[in-house]
Amino acid sequence: MRRLAVILTCVLGGAALLGGAAEAHANYVRSNPASDARLVKAPSEIRIEFSEPPDPKGSEIQVLDTNGVRHDKRDAGLSGDPNGLRVSVDPIPDGGYLVAWTATSAVDGHTTKGNFAFVVGNGPLPPVPEVAEAAPPPSLLEIAGRALSYAGIALGLGTAFFVLFVAPSGIDPRRESWLLSVAGALIVAGSLALVADQGPKLPPRLGVMLAVRAFAGLVLAAVSVTPRLALMRPVVAIAGGGVMTIGPLATFRPRRMIALAAGIAAAMTATLVSHATALGSIKSMAFDFVHVLSVSVWTGGVVALLWCVLLVRRDDTAEDARALGAVVWRFSVTAMIATALLITAGVLQAFDRLVLINDLYETPYGVALAVKIVLVLVALAIGAFNLLRWGPRLRAGIRARTALVRDTVAETGIFVVIIVAASVLTAFAPPAQPSASAYDQTQHVGDLRLEMLVASGGAGRNTYVLRVHQGLAPVSGAEKVAFRFTMVEHDMGQQELVAMERAAGEYVAEGSPTAMYGTWKIQTVVRLAGKEDVSTVFTVPVSAPTGGGTTTSQVLTVGRYTMIVFTDPATPQSGAPVTLYAVLIGADGNPVVGKQLRATFSGPSSQAPIDSTENAATLGPGRYKFDIAGLDAGTWKVTLAVGNEGTGAYSLVVSR
Amino acid sequence: MSRVLAAVATLAIVASSFAFASNIALGHERRSVGPYSFVVGWINEPAYVNAANGLSLDVTETSSSKPVEGLATTLKAEVIVGGGAKTLSLDLATDEETPGHYAGSFIPTKVGDYIFHVFGDVGSTKVDERFESGPKTFDGVVSTDPLQFPDKVPANADLAARLDSIQTGVIAGIVIAALALLVSVGGLAMRRR
Repeated sequence: MRRLAVILTCVLGGAALLGGAAEAHANYVRSNPASDARLVKAPSEIRIEFSEPPDPKGSEIQVLDTNGVRHDKRDAGLSGDPNGLRVSVDPIPDGGYLVAWTATSAVDGHTTKGNFAFVVGNGPLPPVPEVAEAAPPPSLLEIAGRALSYAGIALGLGTAFFVLFVAPSGIDPRRESWLLSVAGALIVAGSLALVADQGPKLPPRLGVMLAVRAFAGLVLAAVSVTPRLALMRPVVAIAGGGVMTIGPLATFRPRRMIALAAGIAAAMTATLVSHATALGSIKSMAFDFVHVLSVSVWTGGVVALLWCVLLVRRDDTAEDARALGAVVWRFSVTAMIATALLITAGVLQAFDRLVLINDLYETPYGVALAVKIVLVLVALAIGAFNLLRWGPRLRAGIRARTALVRDTVAETGIFVVIIVAASVLTAFAPPAQPSASAYDQTQHVGDLRLEMLVASGGAGRNTYVLRVHQGLAPVSGAEKVAFRFTMVEHDMGQQELVAMERAAGEYVAEGSPTAMYGTWKIQTVVRLAGKEDVSTVFTVPVSAPTGGGTTTSQVLTVGRYTMIVFTDPATPQSGAPVTLYAVLIGADGNPVVGKQLRATFSGPSSQAPIDSTENAATLGPGRYKFDIAGLDAGTWKVTLAVGNEGTGAYSLVVSR
Repeated sequence: MSRVLAAVATLAIVASSFAFASNIALGHERRSVGPYSFVVGWINEPAYVNAANGLSLDVTETSSSKPVEGLATTLKAEVIVGGGAKTLSLDLATDEETPGHYAGSFIPTKVGDYIFHVFGDVGSTKVDERFESGPKTFDGVVSTDPLQFPDKVPANADLAARLDSIQTGVIAGIVIAALALLVSVGGLAMRRR
């Protein structure tokens, strides 16, 4: 018993430590203006898109100048974009601005914080300060609330399933009712704790889910009372019997079916406030639901087996022992099916949520998952021991109940720790998060985890981000982080961009090294003080203008030429620079060089005509470029003229 | 007409000599340090891993292009990999046939970037410069794999990685064997009870 207490203390301590390194849930995905954007015109609003739906009640967007003065209109609300928030901005002069955002997930109520900078005009970008608690760790109240809820769901669902499908006839209804009432109380207490933890910022959707869960708990508690009421039936009958209406509930089967339904409903609420639901994937939600159901049938069933059968039945005679052995065998088969489903669903979920196998020890989510896996393996080992050691003895009519009780108590203790680990696990964001980048790949090199993000999939100016982590911590203060670009299909030489550290462990470079479409190799070099360089290569496809990398490419017929027109970025944003490319192809299919192209604009505001520039060496033959400082939001008609030989119209949509 | 041809030929020779002179610095980094010009690169280019090579340093007066001699004792050089993970001091040797040229030999054993740190005095000018390989300066050390024929010889680093991998496998095997032994002993003990 003392040993068990030590194990419990260690794991709970570890879980508490893990809580200090929690990661975000509603993560920043993209924004308009984009992070580090340079605008020619001040924006009238800031729009941010997150990885999960935010709740406006607990969310905020502040627009601050370099003196810390706010310039937003404090009207942050849903933007209408998927998972988006917006805030209006007062008219602001040229200069650097910081956008500080706080987002509360509408799904699980977790809060995340972050900030990014943009500049209006030609000034420098303001420094982006570190956010002290970008993802505040889960509170003890939250972990307690989750643990109580999960324990209640497992106990209620597992008990109902056990007494319906596994237990022998004639078990003591009071013991069954006691378990169901404890399950109901745990669910209600857990739901109340989670509501109390959220306080006034409780997102309505989460509130509804917790209310449904608490109601399911009350139903479990109510059905546990009915046997006692059934005992009063003679009294009630004499009194004229209004309570007789609950007569059917006093019989076992309907009552157990209601308990099972309540347990399943409570389990469903656990899935509906999970990461799987936040990501909006039906497949992930199905895996999560199967995971919750199977773990409940297994763990709750073990407790029900212990409390309702093992502690009550005797094995004094060979016949009693064989009867007990038969129950243990029936439950073992159920548990094996449940654990098979549990492991299958868990592994399939892990494929979706982990990026590398190293995530198991290099991310908080992975560490919590690894702890949970180890605990499950320990519980499985105990279960297997019971099945292979004590089960056959009982079925052979040999006494083994005492040993079986001892091992099942230990298994139950492990389950308690698993539930606490699961409560901590669900408070972390999985490593695989949605990204707005066209390219997002992770490699593990040496002892570093390198995540490469390339903002756009098209040729031309781009932003390259390398996130460097060592173990659980971001690697700050690298002496040098460089990106070296070489093209696979053509010898374009090697170009280098040296990245600057934008945030802890996040190194950013901007430039136009990938001038042509094709396959590019980006060699990353990370130099840390006192260590050898860590280098690896990411192979990045750069899309052709007619390919999938851009959404704005259009094919025009201009006189005797075919013109392919596209923009970089593919989805221009208002006020931000945009480059318009036109590839001119002759009737023979070859690029046409040496022409003078002019773009004239008609749209939401006035824009002076722009003449093209041509540089076959850097842009490729027949490719003409128009540098546009910035356009207002709306639909623009761009008329492209090739000298006096003809014109074509290109439709360009600029987003807000 | 012959005078014109002679003049053109002379110009061509002069031009080609410039071209020849500029080739010396091909793949090298040229940098002004006070009144002097430093040209730094590899002795042999491309620089192949595990092949004898070293620092090639030329020092001239920027104003007159006159080579600066006698720096082998006043200048020091070292080669650095990574962020100072390993550093090797180089003995600068002079070349009597090429005044102002200094070389520090070593065999680079890793593919990647190298940094040459040159420090000391040139006359009254203090020197403390780091020359780092890269696309804009001089190339880093490259693998010999593309040149190997008919059989590829595994690099030392690859062999070391394979040995590490085998060692990990052996350790895992020992652990599994130990666990299996424990389970077997436990099973036997329980059967005897």
